Amino acid sequence: MVHISDGILSLPVLAAGWAITIALIAVVLWWSKRKGSIVEEIPRLSVITSAFFVASLFHIAIGPTSVHLILNGLMGVTLGILAYPAIFIGLLLQAFLFGHGGITVLGVNTIDMGVPALVAHGIFKVGNKLIPLESITSKAVLGALAGGIAVALAVLLTAGMLCTLGIEYAWAIKALILYHIPIIVIETVIVGSVVAFLARVKPELIGSLGGERR
Amino acid sequence: MNRKLVFAIFVMLLVLSCLSISTVSAHRLHIVHKLSEIEIEAYFGGGTPCRDANVNVYDKEGNLYIEGVTDDEGKFRFSPKIGMDEYKVVVEAVHMPGHKAETVINLSQEAAGAGAGGMGTEMPLYTRAIAGFGYLIGLAGAAMAYMGWKMKKKYENL
Repeated sequence: MVHISDGILSLPVLAAGWAITIALIAVVLWWSKRKGSIVEEIPRLSVITSAFFVASLFHIAIGPTSVHLILNGLMGVTLGILAYPAIFIGLLLQAFLFGHGGITVLGVNTIDMGVPALVAHGIFKVGNKLIPLESITSKAVLGALAGGIAVALAVLLTAGMLCTLGIEYAWAIKALILYHIPIIVIETVIVGSVVAFLARVKPELIGSLGGERR
Repeated sequence: MNRKLVFAIFVMLLVLSCLSISTVSAHRLHIVHKLSEIEIEAYFGGGTPCRDANVNVYDKEGNLYIEGVTDDEGKFRFSPKIGMDEYKVVVEAVHMPGHKAETVINLSQEAAGAGAGGMGTEMPLYTRAIAGFGYLIGLAGAAMAYMGWKMKKKYENL
């Protein structure tokens, strides 16, 4: 539940969120275009975005509330920097069809989930470079690490955005982090096993235009 | 003479009993009416009740009418005010910060049967999920069509 609803954040934060998201999407598209054709990546992007889109429906009841999967780490690991626009599309569909988040907060929510996806991509890419092992296990461990960190970062960013409302929202950090610990664990396992599986059967699905295919 | 007196008393009693019918009310059925409560229910997608959430109810003019918190089932009840038939209910989750929803309850429309709220009025979740897949498949399809068109052009130029 790292989607912030409409009507909570202040106008400057919402506007800044949209501005940063639009700028980041522009940079990502420009960068990807230099590396190759984006159009060729879209079918792959659609498949992974579908997974991201429905992942938010897998709810786990925790204590007095419920949380759901995010899978932004998986987006980063599989799509690379294109994960950012893909998350934007996924969140747009979630807002319209599931009522998760909203349109005015779309920019902020894309930052909350998209920036950690970029970090996950970075971890996975740099990790793969530093560990010149072709073993599937090392890739899976890196993927798991990237997946877990992406969720943790998404939760922290969301809590940070809520803190712009004032100090009385500081408790939000505690609640959000506490309830998302199981999600961090689950996604660590999910991304680790997906990477292990893909590395075996379809290694070209891992990595992106931005990163070398190993 | 005696007979006449008895007859006269009998007639008087009869008249009296007829007159008093309207005032005897031992078996009268009473109906009074009272508008009791409006119940709202807050829940997260997936059906988990939104517990302990802050509820603010505003009237048509936007003045705060009643505030409170939802119970363990995510429910909150409040009595409507006579003469006020529109309320805006805003629920803000406490255990999952950053989640807020609002709805407008219009009693005159509810009476006409137009505004029955609740879980049943949403489009089923699976249809919405399928709709989302539809858009994404459409996007992939458009990209593939473009690639195909580009490839065709490339071969035509050869």
